[in-house]
Amino acid sequence: MSKHAEVDIALGILDHQLVDSNGVNCGKVDDLELTGLDSGSPEVVEIIVGGNAWRKRGLLGRLAGRLAGDAVHVPWAEVDSVSSVVKLKRPASELRLNRGDPRWSRLVGKVPGS
Amino acid sequence: MSMKNFLAIALGILSAIGGFVDIGDLVFNTQAGATFGFQLLWVVVIGVVGIIVYSEMCGRVAAVAKRPVFDLVRERAGFGAGLSTLIASQIVNLLTCAAEIGGVAICLQLLSGLPYRLLIPLAVVGLAVACWVLRFEWIERVFGYLGLGLLVFAVAAIKLHPDWGSVAHGFVPGQHTGGSLPVYLYFVVGLLGAAMTPYEVYFYSSGAVEDGWGLKELGLNKVTSMIGYGLGGFLSFALMIVAGVLFLPQKIDPQFLGTPPLAASDALGQVGLLLALVGILFAVGGAAIETSFSGAYNTAQFFGWRWGKKERPAAASRFTLTWVVIFALALLVVMTGYDPVKLTEYSVIFSVVALPLTYLPILLIANDRTYMGSNVNGRLANVLGVLYFIVIIAIAFAAIPLLIVTNGGQG
Repeated sequence: MSKHAEVDIALGILDHQLVDSNGVNCGKVDDLELTGLDSGSPEVVEIIVGGNAWRKRGLLGRLAGRLAGDAVHVPWAEVDSVSSVVKLKRPASELRLNRGDPRWSRLVGKVPGS
Repeated sequence: MSMKNFLAIALGILSAIGGFVDIGDLVFNTQAGATFGFQLLWVVVIGVVGIIVYSEMCGRVAAVAKRPVFDLVRERAGFGAGLSTLIASQIVNLLTCAAEIGGVAICLQLLSGLPYRLLIPLAVVGLAVACWVLRFEWIERVFGYLGLGLLVFAVAAIKLHPDWGSVAHGFVPGQHTGGSLPVYLYFVVGLLGAAMTPYEVYFYSSGAVEDGWGLKELGLNKVTSMIGYGLGGFLSFALMIVAGVLFLPQKIDPQFLGTPPLAASDALGQVGLLLALVGILFAVGGAAIETSFSGAYNTAQFFGWRWGKKERPAAASRFTLTWVVIFALALLVVMTGYDPVKLTEYSVIFSVVALPLTYLPILLIANDRTYMGSNVNGRLANVLGVLYFIVIIAIAFAAIPLLIVTNGGQG
């Protein structure tokens, strides 16, 4: 992404759609890992997706986070561009994202015409 | 405009008309007509303009920013409030889906004479197979066009020769007769809720993303929402007028879904009855599909899954399972034997409570230049959008107290 683009992290990145290099939806930006908050030059280092990433997102998030598994951490270096979606540089499977659909497709795939 | 475009727009309008009326409109418009005659027609106008304003807005957001409603809810309300909205909307979608399935089963019962309980699972299986086999545009077309059988109510409304002076009077709010103030207000809330059901905007915007709408479709969006829903509103008028002419004088309370079609047969005989039943069957069946799909759209969009009817069912397996599970749960709800008309009343009243959290993110994003560029809301869309948001907040607070105080409109 352009080094000079200005993006509001809370409104423009958090809770936005993640899309992999094949254009497939692969989760939301559920949380962000920032560094350098003390030094005054904060930087986003990771996108945290799913599972216990929800724990810090309010009462319902805590509950949902407890029921879900571990979160997936995606380094910011994997981000290709930020528009109304956050586009990643690689396919979801290489980043351990979007594992739910393959898991359930074994069940759904048994129905003819699926 | 080329002939092909004209045809596409005309067909879109037709399916919007056929798809406008669902079991909520059917129940509330006929009950309002049977209780207050034509006096509540003005509420339908307000409700129809409301659904036009917000459908146009979310259709525009879908065409410009390619974002469906629940992406917006998540992006603007955040995780916690977004999840609350998701849960509330799922409960309402499920109740509505169950009510619509009950309606389908009643129509099938009246058409075939087979037992209601047997027809419920048949209805669900039929709808699920239609969803599985048909492509998105064919689902819209089949149910939308056959739902046009409801036009028989418009013909009936004219043939019954209502006192057009009183009909015209009904479009002006004022003093009411025939029931207490809380009951009157209960119907105001119910008619608004029935016209502005949240699943309509979920489905409309997700459908626009499914159809791959872009800037070229902005005109189509305006025409479909305004003319399609506008003309769909005429069916609501017709239902209320028919009930006002036939049921009010005889003090018939249409607590059974088989009652409205009888009005069509009164005016147009056997053919009228058949058309009304087929129209209701497909309008309500289409709405059952829209609610189950809305539930799947919302969940998938909230969690960022792969979604859409255009995807292979196994590729978007979580999305597919979600709509299947909603059908299955709705089946269980209907099989309890709970009265579909009562179920409809609850679903409409509860949907009103979920409206503000659905409409606010749409209004915010439709004004956000980072999403919309030069296609942000104009002054008219904003004035109406804000006015309707105030109306929605007011009815959201009033809905449940009125439901309790009036014992579901019974007075």
